[in-house]
Amino acid sequence: MKDTYAIEMLGITKKFGNILANDHIDIRLKRGEILALCGENGAGKSTLMSILFGLHEPDEGTIKKDGEVVKITNPNDATRLHIGMVHQHFKLVDTFTVLQNIILGDETLKEYKGNLNIFKKALNYLNKHVFKVIDYKEARREVNEIIKQYDLQVDLDKKIRDISVEMQQKVEIIKMLYRKNDILIFDEPTAVLAEQEIHEFLKILINLKKEGKSIIFISHKLNEVFEVSDQITVIRKGQYIDSFPTNKTTKEEISALMVGRKIKDFKTKKDIKPGKEVLKVEHLQMIDHFSKKKVVNDVSFNVRKGEIVALAGIDGNGQQEVIYGITGIKKTHGGLITLDGKDISSFSVREKIKAGISHIPEDRHKYGLVLDYSIYENSVLDRYYEKEFSKCLFISENSIKRFGDELIKKYDIRSSGDGNTIVRGMSGGNQQKIIVGREIERNQDLLIAVQPTRGLDIGAIEVIHNLLLEQREKKKAILLVSLELDQVFTLADRILVMYEGEIVGEFTPSNITREKLGLYMSGAKKDEVHAIKENDNE
Amino acid sequence: MNKVKTFFYSLLKKESTKTVVTSLWCALIGLIIGFILLVCINAKNAPYGMTSVLGNYLIFTDPQDKLHYFGQTLAKTAPLLAMSLSILVSYKAGLFNLGGSGQYTIAVIIISFLGLEDSANWPWWAVMIIAMIGAALWSMISGALKAFFNVNEVISGIMLNWIALYIANALLTSNSSVWDTSHSQAKVITSSSNAFIPSIGLDRLFDGNSIVGLGMILVLIFTVVIFILFKKTTIGYELKVTGLNKDAANYAGINRVKSILIATGISGALAGLAASLNLQNGFTSWQLSSVPPDIGFQGISSAFLGGLHPIGVIFSSYFIVHISEGGSMITDLGFSPEVASIMTSLIIYLSGFVAFIKEFITRYELKRELNKISRNKEEATR
Repeated sequence: MKDTYAIEMLGITKKFGNILANDHIDIRLKRGEILALCGENGAGKSTLMSILFGLHEPDEGTIKKDGEVVKITNPNDATRLHIGMVHQHFKLVDTFTVLQNIILGDETLKEYKGNLNIFKKALNYLNKHVFKVIDYKEARREVNEIIKQYDLQVDLDKKIRDISVEMQQKVEIIKMLYRKNDILIFDEPTAVLAEQEIHEFLKILINLKKEGKSIIFISHKLNEVFEVSDQITVIRKGQYIDSFPTNKTTKEEISALMVGRKIKDFKTKKDIKPGKEVLKVEHLQMIDHFSKKKVVNDVSFNVRKGEIVALAGIDGNGQQEVIYGITGIKKTHGGLITLDGKDISSFSVREKIKAGISHIPEDRHKYGLVLDYSIYENSVLDRYYEKEFSKCLFISENSIKRFGDELIKKYDIRSSGDGNTIVRGMSGGNQQKIIVGREIERNQDLLIAVQPTRGLDIGAIEVIHNLLLEQREKKKAILLVSLELDQVFTLADRILVMYEGEIVGEFTPSNITREKLGLYMSGAKKDEVHAIKENDNE
Repeated sequence: MNKVKTFFYSLLKKESTKTVVTSLWCALIGLIIGFILLVCINAKNAPYGMTSVLGNYLIFTDPQDKLHYFGQTLAKTAPLLAMSLSILVSYKAGLFNLGGSGQYTIAVIIISFLGLEDSANWPWWAVMIIAMIGAALWSMISGALKAFFNVNEVISGIMLNWIALYIANALLTSNSSVWDTSHSQAKVITSSSNAFIPSIGLDRLFDGNSIVGLGMILVLIFTVVIFILFKKTTIGYELKVTGLNKDAANYAGINRVKSILIATGISGALAGLAASLNLQNGFTSWQLSSVPPDIGFQGISSAFLGGLHPIGVIFSSYFIVHISEGGSMITDLGFSPEVASIMTSLIIYLSGFVAFIKEFITRYELKRELNKISRNKEEATR
């Protein structure tokens, strides 16, 4: 039976320095099957797949394709063996068109046929020995065939930078199919997609499977794993744990295996009566600096003490801009923002921070941290000027150290050394804990948390969820922006749905279903909402 | 022996020692290539030529001469050190100051007018401060362009270099009390002038070399100030955040415009200090030139060779001046004067490899660590 496996990786071991990234891992994949590779962040999934794709060479172990031992030392070997991979961060050239990206590195060539008869001899020579030109016509025909066969609609002439992430992913898939790959590897493909797009993507996966492709799919979102996979392999801390056929296991079992213990239930939400209004946003307007489009259009809401208000929506519908507007990172173009009854609309970022806004930004590398600073230095990033940490222009290192140590202890921030460790080398979860700890310790009335668990594993998500709920119990007003419905439903007291820069609905988690919320998020109910608004106005 | 070894390796682990070792490597490789070059040109005189370059003032037999030229080297180090600090400050704030020469030139104009005109009898410190302010304002032009219109500071800096150069040529040559037509260069500030930086007795220490003086001590004080600025103050913290991650700076409410203006201002003032230290001790004066003075670019090399650390640049500036002074002495050995420049440029060029060599050291260290771990494992299994 062994020869029916399309890919076998046996006893794969890989060391990075003294870290064992993969320790004798086995995976097996049959033709026309989807294998889900599950594990926490840093479990070694991506390393294993990089080995299969030839980006790393294993220290030990063998790889078999269709029962034959193969040696893959670089991605070219992998391509020759028809193994393709879509990386978590796409490898596309922004300024090239879709078609150019697809054929890049595997171009269809033709001889150059100019009508310059005088140079015929020279041209012949050149064509034979020096260069050929790209046959776009033929390439386009081939790509169009693939598009038709797998139902992957993309515009071949658009530039990559002008198309959505979802489309870019399709381009990556077509790229693999164009190279006639039959082993397709996806590294956390849904991390960048919204709920609706995930469904579309899973449909594509099933289509590919029907056409006889074998797929390895890395994810730690168990819902989608159970929706499409045939086999599940769990790895943890570089170790092979177990494999199951999907229909013979449960989500609970897999998630327990992934983290190595039973997941404690998230802290349950206590009933808290919201107190007085902390943040009030009225008729907020924002215009994008480059496109001159209205990205936030007449948004009004409030957040009260002791409640979590979630701004839900598909990525890029203006939620982030609303936060930029409130925190002052970007300019607003009209509207009123009041904090504790004080108009702060025209305040600078620093003044707003001083007025009482704590902000956990969505991108910890871009905004939240200075990666080349130590934990200590980062722990006071937005408060180094406070009296506690500086005396007339001079920073008091001792008090920063004291505070940093406190933070490390209280929020269980782990690094390879003490507080002088540079944060660049730390894991995402621990980096995020620095930010969350720093912002919570500022002890302000308003806490803004934008995708606070982005890219974190289950353990870290649990910690951060519980911290947010704790803040709620302490009667803080919390504004949460999240793209994940799970998070919205577990945390929020009120859900505001944003679509194309407008708030299109307000709900409580108990009076709406996920499906319905999804419809609002995708704008399907927008007309209805508008009709109601107009009726109100009349 | 083993103890010494472990001590050495534990040192090597520190980022700061790594930088020092790296810079030393750069210098060494540069010198070796320079020696090969000397051998190619004139094998017989090459060893002696090399000794001159490395020895500089040490090759003199007369102890008085030794002292005299040692003083000369130190006095010439001071302006380069100021210029290196100028590059360093802007670099830490995420700006690349290629306009150092222009800022230097503006200061030269101010010093020449205030220090040389007979009617104006300014004290030396006032001339120095006004020159620094002038250079700072000049530098803040490119700072403001960057802060308000996002104009690349490298481009505006280079353009301002040329503008400053032509202003200097035009203004200084046309003024008879400043310009010395017989030597076709500006007049030199003499030790009797009020604008002359006092020697405070240091000149006597160095065999009466009058260009040695208070300036040397002043620049060291500035170095310490810059060191403290980045190590201990909130302004330094802000500048570094702006330089390392401008989005995080925005998030933390740090005023980017203010940071850029402060950084360019300080760095311009330091370039102005360099001019003051070069002119106000009577060492040199403005010469009619068609290219911006090269001290602005030497400052870049020295700043990088010094590992972009205020203390490091003290040594790197001294080293660069030391070998170029030594290099200027080998012309009578049958080497053209350009050879000396080639050697210094080689070392400077290699300072660009600092990052590369650092990586090399890190790998070496990692390998050692790995071997140790596997050895420990073996012993444990035994």
